[in-house]
Amino acid sequence: MTAARRGLLALGALVMTYAVIGALTDPDVRIGASVFLIGVLVAHDGLLLPLTIGAGILVGRYTPRRIRALVRAALVVSLAVTVVAFPLVLGRGRVADNPSVLPLRYGRGLLEIYAVIWATAAVAAAVRAWRARRRREPRTAG
Amino acid sequence: MVRDADPGLRNDPDPDPGNLRLAGRLRRAVTWLQQPWPAPPAALRRGPMRRGAFDSKLRSPRLTSLLGLALAVAFTVCFVTGLISHLIQHPPFWFYWPSRPVGLYRVTQGLHVATGLASVPLLGAKLWSVYPRLFAWPPARGLAHALERATVAVLVAAALFQLVSGVLNISRWYAPMPFFFTAGHYWSAWLAIGALLVHIAVKLPIIRPALARATPDRTPGGGLTRRGLLGTVGAAAGVITLATAGQTAAPLAGISVLAPRRPGAGPQHLPVNKTAGGAGVRDAAFDPAYRLTVAGPARTVSLSLADLTALPQHTVVLPISCVEGWSSTGTWTGVRLRDLVALAGVDPDNAEAYVESLEARGRYRSSTVPPPHTRDPFTLIALRLGGEPLHPDHGYPARLIAPNRPGVLQTKWVARITARSTS
Repeated sequence: MTAARRGLLALGALVMTYAVIGALTDPDVRIGASVFLIGVLVAHDGLLLPLTIGAGILVGRYTPRRIRALVRAALVVSLAVTVVAFPLVLGRGRVADNPSVLPLRYGRGLLEIYAVIWATAAVAAAVRAWRARRRREPRTAG
Repeated sequence: MVRDADPGLRNDPDPDPGNLRLAGRLRRAVTWLQQPWPAPPAALRRGPMRRGAFDSKLRSPRLTSLLGLALAVAFTVCFVTGLISHLIQHPPFWFYWPSRPVGLYRVTQGLHVATGLASVPLLGAKLWSVYPRLFAWPPARGLAHALERATVAVLVAAALFQLVSGVLNISRWYAPMPFFFTAGHYWSAWLAIGALLVHIAVKLPIIRPALARATPDRTPGGGLTRRGLLGTVGAAAGVITLATAGQTAAPLAGISVLAPRRPGAGPQHLPVNKTAGGAGVRDAAFDPAYRLTVAGPARTVSLSLADLTALPQHTVVLPISCVEGWSSTGTWTGVRLRDLVALAGVDPDNAEAYVESLEARGRYRSSTVPPPHTRDPFTLIALRLGGEPLHPDHGYPARLIAPNRPGVLQTKWVARITARSTS
């Protein structure tokens, strides 16, 4: 291991120690933060990611080869947007006396984004099909 | 990872037998720690731990390194901008934050939130690309390997902590977080950055060659290629950015359908974080007996709203820039803070001001205006917004508005200013 790597390793360990000591001595953090820390890890690695991979397998099995990559891409973008939008759509942060908090209709906004994503994927699929047809019939082009 | 015992120990000329015994023990301890651990019975290798359980040809050190590099840049941007925001709010003695350019904090904090949100698809793809490693067999080859895997777990947990808590915070949904958001997000950031440094140190021999040259893409036809996946992740980050950045970049407000705030939405076309009702100051704010007390070491003056209006009025155009990443520009009119500080007999060019709200309690009921901002002629105790008297939710009768400062430090419903000389 080179000196640079060793230095990086030591620095990282030092910063992590600082974080742990800081969190343990901060009365605002307490035990709740470590529960949340483990919770998000388990929820992601044990639930969200396996479900995503499962959905990917289903896509591989049931969508035609020509559009499979596009469907996967559109699903990935949709999922990422959904993660960000979920708490906004749920709207638990709204307060009665402050309409400037979460002022939009986020459910509708999310549907609009889905529409844009899938319309883009559909256009891309159409362009791809058209190009493939042209390649198959080169004489008609000339 | 664990080095051999220092050979210098063996040649130690120290004749003290106690030292020799200690050296021997140390050496034995290091050798013991480096021992490979026995492999667990093969019968336990089931489910996702089986060989070939994950068959995607898309996964490769090249893909993981590219995603990791992008994520490392994003996390560094978030860490630095977040640290700036923290230091402005809790300044140590060595820290200096200027009052100009007026919109600098608006940019750093807008960048903090936008980069964090754009990291969501990056982190998702990165974790997918290394998911099979979670089920590596054997689970741990030895102590060094076990430690390294523990660090990776900490890194993943802390990275998820940052993104999930950040998303919850901008949607103001605090119930799922059993801790004070700001403190948890802060310490978890240090944890993530520390674990990231360790991770880079450990993986550098894999990262360097993977980034140096492109390995052939072995994805089968019809599937998502490496370039396709990277493009998809970029597109997802782009969509998220366009959908939210309008909360601070007003021209995008029309298409930002997921912006938690809209710059023009709120009383007097400005969003509000804490209302007068929520702060419990409605009665005190409208009390005709309201006085603004300005205290200095030499004298203390008490000003009614009429007295304040009679002082020289100035108008500035300044943004309110929230730690949550939204910002909105207002036209503020009021008395210069430096004029009030001078009224209390303190030289405004070398002074700081402690500003207190009518709020009886709350984390943000007071703030300290440091010398650069106290000196700045743009810093006002504002009485009007957009030409009208302040809306109660914007701090009627008087509020602090200073350039280049987080919104939580722009104290509303100001009741008392204590001026201190810093020269």
